[in-house]
Amino acid sequence: MSRDGVLGAALAALAVGYYRAAATIPASGLADAVGPGGLPMAYAGVLGFLSVLLMLRGWRTVGGEAPTVAPRTLARVGGLLAIGIAYIVIVPRVGYPVALAGLLIGTTYYQGGRLNGQVVVVGVAGAAVLWTVFVAVLGIDHPTGVWLERLIGQP
Amino acid sequence: METLSVVAPAAFAGVAWGILGGALPGISPSITMALLLPFTYTLDSAVAIVLLASTYVGAEYGGSIPAILIRTPGTNAAAATVVDGYAMKLQGRAGEALGISLYSGFIGGLIGLLVLVLLAERLSGVALAFTPSAYFSLGVLGLSVIAALSRESLLKALIAGVLGLMIASIGTDPVTGTSRFTFDSPELLSGIPPILVMVGVYALAELFEQSGERGWEQATERPRIQFPSPALWRRIAVPQIIGSVIGTFEGLVPGGGGTVSSFLAYNEARRWSRHKDEFGHGSPEGVAAPEAANNTVACTALIPMLSLGIPSSNSAAVLLGGFLMHGLVPGPMLFVQHRDVVESLFVGLLAANVAMVIVGYLIMGPCIWLVGRPKPYLMAFIYALVVSGVYAIESSLFQVGVALGFGVVGFGMRYFRVPVLPLILGVVLGFMVESNYRRALVLADGDLMTFVREPLSLGLLVVALLFVLGSVFRQARERWRLAEAAR
Repeated sequence: MSRDGVLGAALAALAVGYYRAAATIPASGLADAVGPGGLPMAYAGVLGFLSVLLMLRGWRTVGGEAPTVAPRTLARVGGLLAIGIAYIVIVPRVGYPVALAGLLIGTTYYQGGRLNGQVVVVGVAGAAVLWTVFVAVLGIDHPTGVWLERLIGQP
Repeated sequence: METLSVVAPAAFAGVAWGILGGALPGISPSITMALLLPFTYTLDSAVAIVLLASTYVGAEYGGSIPAILIRTPGTNAAAATVVDGYAMKLQGRAGEALGISLYSGFIGGLIGLLVLVLLAERLSGVALAFTPSAYFSLGVLGLSVIAALSRESLLKALIAGVLGLMIASIGTDPVTGTSRFTFDSPELLSGIPPILVMVGVYALAELFEQSGERGWEQATERPRIQFPSPALWRRIAVPQIIGSVIGTFEGLVPGGGGTVSSFLAYNEARRWSRHKDEFGHGSPEGVAAPEAANNTVACTALIPMLSLGIPSSNSAAVLLGGFLMHGLVPGPMLFVQHRDVVESLFVGLLAANVAMVIVGYLIMGPCIWLVGRPKPYLMAFIYALVVSGVYAIESSLFQVGVALGFGVVGFGMRYFRVPVLPLILGVVLGFMVESNYRRALVLADGDLMTFVREPLSLGLLVVALLFVLGSVFRQARERWRLAEAAR
């Protein structure tokens, strides 16, 4: 199946799921003629219709471009995403500066940099700069980290 | 209105950030602005808006630096500058080319600002005549821009627009207060802020895309900017005017933008030049016209956004996100309710154009240094900046996750060649369309004719219809031409 065909099928599935979720939205006593689920159901209908058109276009395209992603690209993107998710998971535990240094070092390494002293120094220095900007200057309350809180005896 | 002493530092900082961002190949003005967006959350609204708008101004010039030095446009709009800018560099005239780019951008920016000041308020002059029906029709007009933006596929642009409307429907229902698509998550009750979608589909998706690509070329020389001599001033005056006129019209037209205007300006400057043979071989006019055009667009693209709330380009959409983040709704009432912010923006843009000349001259060294950094370090720093900035908005790790999710969505959209701007239009206009559609029907006892009975509403719907028909006609004509050429 061509790239458009795959996208059309995925969007059609999304339209069905969205419609079913919209149909379960409870009507309010304050509801107007359209109601809270009215337009979402209409959007789902329009998306479903457009998806079918896209699928038809995909199937009609003989020898269309197959949906392939180079494994290297997929690995790079997946790895970058995994680093971001890992950051979200560990930042409440280890705190903002440590997690950020980890993100900087991990991303640099994963994007083709070598894991050496320079990468570590740049990562730690970058985290210190961003901590200074966000926490010390802008006053944003980034997580201190439960481990550090326990260490310094904060609740 | 904020005083110049408050606005000017924001303008200088925004221009500096914009030039640095624009100088990095692949980092467009909208991405540079999206990276800055979370930082502006804690700032005064007028200062934040000036900072973002100045970033746009700076990025348009910044894009020409790698275009001239390494034959790689930093922004799409700088692609036309590559032709003669790089040829001048090969002739040892890189400093002269950069000076022409800076000076022409300044002239284009001033002309664009003048048009912006004169036109924006007039367009919004009908503010008090707007009823819920007219607001709904204005939203429809905004969505009809999707048709104009669908250069490759109207079908995919429409799909992106509907997806945007679906995202906008997440959260509390605007009329009844019922929760929709929140899956019992309190974080979703207030909906998905447009800023998260923008940071995801612009900045993070670009980061994901760049991660699979090789690093860009390094600049080998550090030229000193030379401003044009009086004789050269006279020679490039006509191309600058041509660029500014084209930039004015393209800024007003949805989907026009800096890239189209730069190439049109280049082409027209060549047509009107006495030195046609120099074009493509290092013509100063070939640098002046596109640079004047894209900096004019940086101001005139704000006209439909400020006066009607309709972003006509990616950068205008991100600026709209900045307005919304600060509780300001661009559109007819902006000039009535927040006149001070609009006036601060005008003063800020004036300061930004002056700042562009000063900062542009001083920042050349750091720009070349930045472009020369290894790509893995730059990507890591941008990633860290995004996750830190998104967290700063509402101190929520959930929102960082949402932004990452939209990064994946944006990457997927690029892969499947689905345009991003219609999605943003759907997200930012979804609330206006739905709430006013339903309010208008409540006021008219469910009578759908209310949308065509009111003259203003009818007029806006007619314009929307013309937009769509015009785009469909244009696409059909292009398809017919391609078929003719194939025969």
